[in-house]
Amino acid sequence: MRKDRPHIGLIPFGGTPDIVPKVIAAHISAYLDLHAIFLDPMANPSYALDKQRLQYDVGAILEHLESGSFRSVDKVMGILDVDLFVPVFTHVFGEARQKGRAALISIFRLRKKPMDTIDVSAVALERAAKVALHELCHLFGLTHCENDRCLMHFSGSLSDLDQGSFNLCRYCKRFFEDAVS
Amino acid sequence: MDEKMSVMVVDDEKIVRESLFFWFEKAGYTVDTAASGFEALEKIETYPFDIMFVDIKMPGMDGIQLLERIKTDYPDTAVIIITAYGSIESAIHAMKAGASDYLLKPFKPKYLSLVMEKIMQQRRLRSEYNYLKARLEKISRFDNIIGQSPPMIKIFELIPEIAASDASVLLTGETGTGKELVAKAIHAKSTRSQHPFIAINCGSIPDTLLESELFGHKKGSFTGATHTRKGYFEVVTGGTLFLDEIGEISPKMQIDLLRVLEEKTITRVGSSESIPIEFRLVSATRKNLQEAISSGTFREDFYYRVNVIHLHIPPLRDRKKDIPLLVQHFLKKYSQETAKHVDHVTQNTLTRLKQYPWPGNVRELENAIERAVVLSKSRTLRSEDFSFLSTDAPRKKTPSLREVEQQYILEVLDGCEWNITQAAKILGINRVTLHKKIDRDGLRNLKR
Repeated sequence: MRKDRPHIGLIPFGGTPDIVPKVIAAHISAYLDLHAIFLDPMANPSYALDKQRLQYDVGAILEHLESGSFRSVDKVMGILDVDLFVPVFTHVFGEARQKGRAALISIFRLRKKPMDTIDVSAVALERAAKVALHELCHLFGLTHCENDRCLMHFSGSLSDLDQGSFNLCRYCKRFFEDAVS
Repeated sequence: MDEKMSVMVVDDEKIVRESLFFWFEKAGYTVDTAASGFEALEKIETYPFDIMFVDIKMPGMDGIQLLERIKTDYPDTAVIIITAYGSIESAIHAMKAGASDYLLKPFKPKYLSLVMEKIMQQRRLRSEYNYLKARLEKISRFDNIIGQSPPMIKIFELIPEIAASDASVLLTGETGTGKELVAKAIHAKSTRSQHPFIAINCGSIPDTLLESELFGHKKGSFTGATHTRKGYFEVVTGGTLFLDEIGEISPKMQIDLLRVLEEKTITRVGSSESIPIEFRLVSATRKNLQEAISSGTFREDFYYRVNVIHLHIPPLRDRKKDIPLLVQHFLKKYSQETAKHVDHVTQNTLTRLKQYPWPGNVRELENAIERAVVLSKSRTLRSEDFSFLSTDAPRKKTPSLREVEQQYILEVLDGCEWNITQAAKILGINRVTLHKKIDRDGLRNLKR
């Protein structure tokens, strides 16, 4: 991998199992050909907890990450094991602002059994990797793609996610390479 | 995505606006937000949005009021109402008011994606519908004549039949009904279409000039005739001569024209040489020629010569069904010409336009649309944009200069008990001129 390719910093939050950032890092290197670097873990973002919904507001967490100084990396990705939400939505698997600096992904709803905090199955890890790559591509300006065999196709449910691809279609691939180069 | 659709999110809560803004941005849509119904209306006036997500509860103008305004003024914009759990009744109310769908917040991200898919499908269906409608519109048009009312369809059917013959045609109808367009269509559909179509408004040319225009003149035949000139009868050879306002032609000229039609030859002014000519005559008048014959101002033999085929173009007030089609046509025309994106007319406006009597017919409607488009500050023409059309009292037909002159001369003559010398003195013209005017306009027949 060329040294001038962007560097992505991965930040595990709270009790996120170690395996999750490791799998995501491997996929970032393998599929997007970017450098994945582990940064210091952070505590669960209590400041973002909505006490009525018992969910964590992604807007607040992203704002916190965006304001941080991560000089060694180009983009950062927070990896959590809590239920994330956006005010109008019931939940989100992950979130990133278009062409932003920070993205989030949570393993919480990607498990076969949502409350099973011990077991993180291979399927859940695969899902986490797909969501992470998808959100990362948003950070590089990619939008949702009509092609349902493209990583950037919108997945609204776990079954959509399972059927989705790790790969970008040729058009999104071209766009991505233009953005990172 | 088939096309880049534009979305506006209208919500007084900043966090909701932002959430949806980011989602749509990631989905590749052009997206904007508004914090109130008023701000949304301001924005949509300057930029057309395909879809609006509107929160039902907002201070000032609520979501339902905004929905109603949008559906009236921008019927092509799809409105999705966002409402909280527990206010399902208002969501139903919104659907009845024309919302395309509603979302109960918080909703699953998947639902938003499904709503967008549904809207896109509706748009695809609408564009198919518009395509078919445009094809249908072509059927409603005949060589720039627009109409779908039974009398116009009848005219469309008759034009090719009339074009196939060589008989003289008399078109009657009020001013602005499109008589010249019909004459052009007859010419275009005929075997003469490769030859000239010449239109002359007989009412606007003085008698002596008309003679020279039609018959041509020989060099030196009158002052100013510095060279020999071909008249329209010669120029039009093989084509169609359209004489508009034929009811205004003087009795002397009627005799000359009658001779031309019978003998198919002409003699230029100042010449004795006969020149053979060949053309088709289409005439038009807004006058009642039967009445003119009765009053002696129009020759009966000339009438029968020009009126072999008679086609009456109905006034716009008798074919109100055509008004929406005409409005759309002129709107498109003047939006393009003026480069202003005025492409909608509210239902209220159409109702107002249908109620107006249109004494100037299609021409008046065209002028009204042009004026409204030029002065409009929004994309939609509203009823108030046509406030210059007064429906209180039907407007009287504006008389021509000649009609005013005739009326005045008649009044003076009646006032002087037809003492020509006295009347000429009052009118400030000499007796010979007054006699000429009396003869020309057949005023003796109107003596009270």
